[in-house]
Amino acid sequence: MRLPKFDYRRPERIQEACAILLDQPCAKLMAGGTDLLVNMKHRAETPSTIVSLKALPDLDFVQKTNSALRIGALTPLKKVYNDPFVAAKLPALAIAASSVGSYHHQTMGTIGGNLCQQTRCKYFNQSKWWRSSRPLCFKAGGELCHVAKREGVCYSTYCGDVAPALLAFGAEVILTGAHGLRQVPLEEIFSGDGKTPLKIGRGEILTEIVIPNQAADGFSTYGKSANRGSIDFPIVGAAVWRSSSTGESRIALTAVDRKPVRARRLEDFLEGKQLNEETFQAVDGLVAKESRLMPSSIDSLSYKRKLMGLLVQSALSEARGGE
Amino acid sequence: MKQAIALEVNGDTYEVLVSPNQTLLEVLREKLGLTGTKKGCDLGACGACTVLLDGAAYLSCLMLAVDAVGKKIVTIEGLSQGGELHPLQKSFVELGGLQCGFCTPGIIMTAKAVLDEEPQPTEESLKKKMAGNLCRCTGYKKVLDSIMGATARMGGER
Repeated sequence: MRLPKFDYRRPERIQEACAILLDQPCAKLMAGGTDLLVNMKHRAETPSTIVSLKALPDLDFVQKTNSALRIGALTPLKKVYNDPFVAAKLPALAIAASSVGSYHHQTMGTIGGNLCQQTRCKYFNQSKWWRSSRPLCFKAGGELCHVAKREGVCYSTYCGDVAPALLAFGAEVILTGAHGLRQVPLEEIFSGDGKTPLKIGRGEILTEIVIPNQAADGFSTYGKSANRGSIDFPIVGAAVWRSSSTGESRIALTAVDRKPVRARRLEDFLEGKQLNEETFQAVDGLVAKESRLMPSSIDSLSYKRKLMGLLVQSALSEARGGE
Repeated sequence: MKQAIALEVNGDTYEVLVSPNQTLLEVLREKLGLTGTKKGCDLGACGACTVLLDGAAYLSCLMLAVDAVGKKIVTIEGLSQGGELHPLQKSFVELGGLQCGFCTPGIIMTAKAVLDEEPQPTEESLKKKMAGNLCRCTGYKKVLDSIMGATARMGGER
């Protein structure tokens, strides 16, 4: 499959990249390219300009500071999970990064690109020929959402593996624009809208991930169920973090909604409680309330709902083992 | 608009005229005639197009040729030295790690990257890293045996 034609820009300074984005609203950023180029081959995305970030310097690092672990957005996933501090102290991130796609995707794909990946849908992630039997869906530029069977909405699902782990750590991200940078909680960059899943300002680029020190003080894990366990996107993925000093829990899920979601009701319920069979019984019901499952994948909603409960329960019982 | 770029493939430098929308896979096969690298799914799901970029396993179907400038590219054609097969290649021949051979170049290039990184991998680690290379005829037992066989043969040599 040939890629469609596009203008190719390869800025060497971040400000230059921001200026191109401001100047050309239809331009798309490309880091590793493992998500964008597949969608372009399918003609599901056809940006007029690609802004390659591969020539930007200084965004490929994992650095420990006094207050946080800072990761450059262009750090390959493999480098993230091979980092000794991440592997030892932030297992949820190490597991999540090493469960993205195949070994090749982990080599080519970056952590920033993984966070900013497109949402997925069985009607969108298909070849042009496959999709030609139906009217163009809303996300691909048409009117109708084939999942919701309504016009003007999109129920594609966010399927990134790394986001739930970082949400459970309470991570923040740095967005760099033409006029400076701002640091926001990771959760705030996800819009919850399938058509435009990211809420990053025009001309802004995600440049850094900041994980507070507190994250390293506690138990964490990431669990995922996929058709082929070793290489596929999650059917459902769940990350759990539990502080060893305060007993606070943070739980986040992926592939269950148009954005990665925090299971706040369950977190509140677990506050100050022992992890035991009795508390586990409440998990299924509380987790199910956090997502808006839609039939955007080939898996049934009841199956996904069951997996949500099972993955969170198994992570929590692992956490109990450490307490 | 086409642009002239220089690619370093298997130690030789090639000057080619490419469009930004041409993948490294297309340029290797169609411009340089290096058809050892295979086009399988062309969507990054099968691993048949794996080549080494600065020693790491890359899917050449998801890599723009213009982004490969300045990198040392090694394809399956570049593995043998002076007419002598690479230990991995010998091991695949001797232990029957292939049937039709279509996926083999990609598998061997991935295995090379894996063994350079981790010369004595555990079976579990090897399986996880090789999972992105699909084979539709042999199954994977003999493939893994061949790679494990090569680790002994290579003995830390690259």
